[in-house]
Amino acid sequence: MTTPRPAGAGAPPGGPARILPGAGRAARLAARRLGLLVALLAAVFAAVELLPGDAAGATAERGESAAGVAARRAALGLDRPLAQRFWDWMTGLPAGDLGTTARGQHVTDVLAGPFPNTLLLGVLALALSTTGALALGGWAVLRPGGRVDRVIEAVATVAFALPEFVVSVALLLLLSQWTGWLPAVTLTGADGAPESWDMLVLPLLALAIPQIGWNTRIVRGALADQAGLPHVQASVLDGLPRRRILVHHMLPGAMPAVATGIATSAGMLLGGAVVVETLFNYPGVGAVLAGAIADRDTPLVAGVVMAAGTAVSLLLLLADLIRTITLGERR
Amino acid sequence: MTDATRAGIPRLKPPPAKAGGAGRRGRVLVRAVPALLLVLLALAGPLLAPHAIDRPVTFPYAGTDGDAVLGGDQLGRDVLSRVLTGGAPLIATASAIALAVTAIATVLGILAALRPALGRWIERVADLAILLPAVLGIMLVALAWPGGGRLAVGAAATVLGVPYAVRLVAAAAAPIAGTGYVEVAAAGGERLWYLMVREVLPNLRSTLLALFGLRFVEGVYVVSVAAFLQLGPQPPEADWALMIRENAAGITLNPWAVAAPCLAIGLLAVSVNLAAEALAPARPTPETPL
Repeated sequence: MTTPRPAGAGAPPGGPARILPGAGRAARLAARRLGLLVALLAAVFAAVELLPGDAAGATAERGESAAGVAARRAALGLDRPLAQRFWDWMTGLPAGDLGTTARGQHVTDVLAGPFPNTLLLGVLALALSTTGALALGGWAVLRPGGRVDRVIEAVATVAFALPEFVVSVALLLLLSQWTGWLPAVTLTGADGAPESWDMLVLPLLALAIPQIGWNTRIVRGALADQAGLPHVQASVLDGLPRRRILVHHMLPGAMPAVATGIATSAGMLLGGAVVVETLFNYPGVGAVLAGAIADRDTPLVAGVVMAAGTAVSLLLLLADLIRTITLGERR
Repeated sequence: MTDATRAGIPRLKPPPAKAGGAGRRGRVLVRAVPALLLVLLALAGPLLAPHAIDRPVTFPYAGTDGDAVLGGDQLGRDVLSRVLTGGAPLIATASAIALAVTAIATVLGILAALRPALGRWIERVADLAILLPAVLGIMLVALAWPGGGRLAVGAAATVLGVPYAVRLVAAAAAPIAGTGYVEVAAAGGERLWYLMVREVLPNLRSTLLALFGLRFVEGVYVVSVAAFLQLGPQPPEADWALMIRENAAGITLNPWAVAAPCLAIGLLAVSVNLAAEALAPARPTPETPL
């Protein structure tokens, strides 16, 4: 969907000549996103540094001597200059090295086990919220100002306003406690993955529902902006079926905004995962993060935050590329 | 902008005519009532609580009985009293965050509209902030600043909330900055602060009120998630989010110990959100981060 189309495929005659400027634009976008990402990482690094306290002090045992703390500080490399540590961290990133936790393990080692579980949950939640939002947003925009539109708008707003743990508890009481349909906690099998598929349902719904609310509003707004454009009005005058107008004439133009919404959703899903995985005992990165907070393990949290920032940047870059491709075709 | 989104697909089915000004004001009031009532109840809650919040009155996770209407929590403390007491600090912190974010965003947003060169820089910083999911950013700051407590959470939420809000204010202020009367005042040699406060600000009232409401909802979200992760208020305190975390283990024994604070946070978020939506000028465009 997002890979640059091969030259000639579906492009009008003289395609290659038109694709080159597009490629230059895409490269500029990628460079801009990369610059933003490096700036963000530097800001996070500096923030952790400038705030009072550090990982060595935070993980100190009760009654530990100052020399012990200083020794661990040296072991963690906290006594080196900030710029040098940032450079080391950045150069390790392409090799998949996210740094060392306050307990001396590699961040990547700590995350390797739970990561696939969170990835599974996150991808499913993203897919569910995207389909849900497209369906609801499309349904609402076909009846602007009507009852369906107002109800969807209100429900979407409410869904997005609710914190994940409120949604989780409501689902827990409704679908597990009172009806007994689904298991309340996730049991982990020998391979570190959830034991059965029905244990995925509650965490998945708790993560996806607020994001469905968020994306529905973006989809509806983006589609409504398309509705006023001349080519849509023309197809309405031509008497094309409404569903066809929606899917073939409005959706393509709305895709850039929708893609950006989904990209931001991905970041918020990771934040929500910390809460949801704790409540449902789901063995993922979020649960590790919640544990890291209890341990005051700043390097581990910083590593995950930076990984999340990198992931969101990549998704936003994809969204940018979708925009370039869409607008490129239009011109 | 608002007309374009409100119009929808005009030729498929015409939207109903807009209500008049008086009708709209009435609707705003009606929609704001639940939020006001809830906030008042939460602020008056400590006075209404029948028991002390830190002493057991029944056995742990006891169900409903004559003395404790909503049963007991994990230490047998009265759930009703704790729910009544737990709202005020949450609302206070969320209001402080919303107020700070709205104030900073108003100044920067209007500046960005009046001075496009500065506006481009603000745009860049906002792009940067989108890369960092708010909850993760707050976790990081609260961790790196041990002992910061509510202050750390509030400061982080303010810093992370501003870029988004600035964008919204700048978008609303830009058309006003381009109007004839602002240009006349600028050409007449008025100072920048005069243009900001006297010419642009009065026209942003409804945008800013709605922004405050939405930031309050966001504040409730952030503060309660932080409390849930045990980053803000510490255990003996009665806090809605903390109660949910503490009592989750006993949900089968006394569901009210979890359901009551959950309901309270849910109602607060929803009612304030509806009030903010009603205040927003016409149909607000979704906060699309672009």
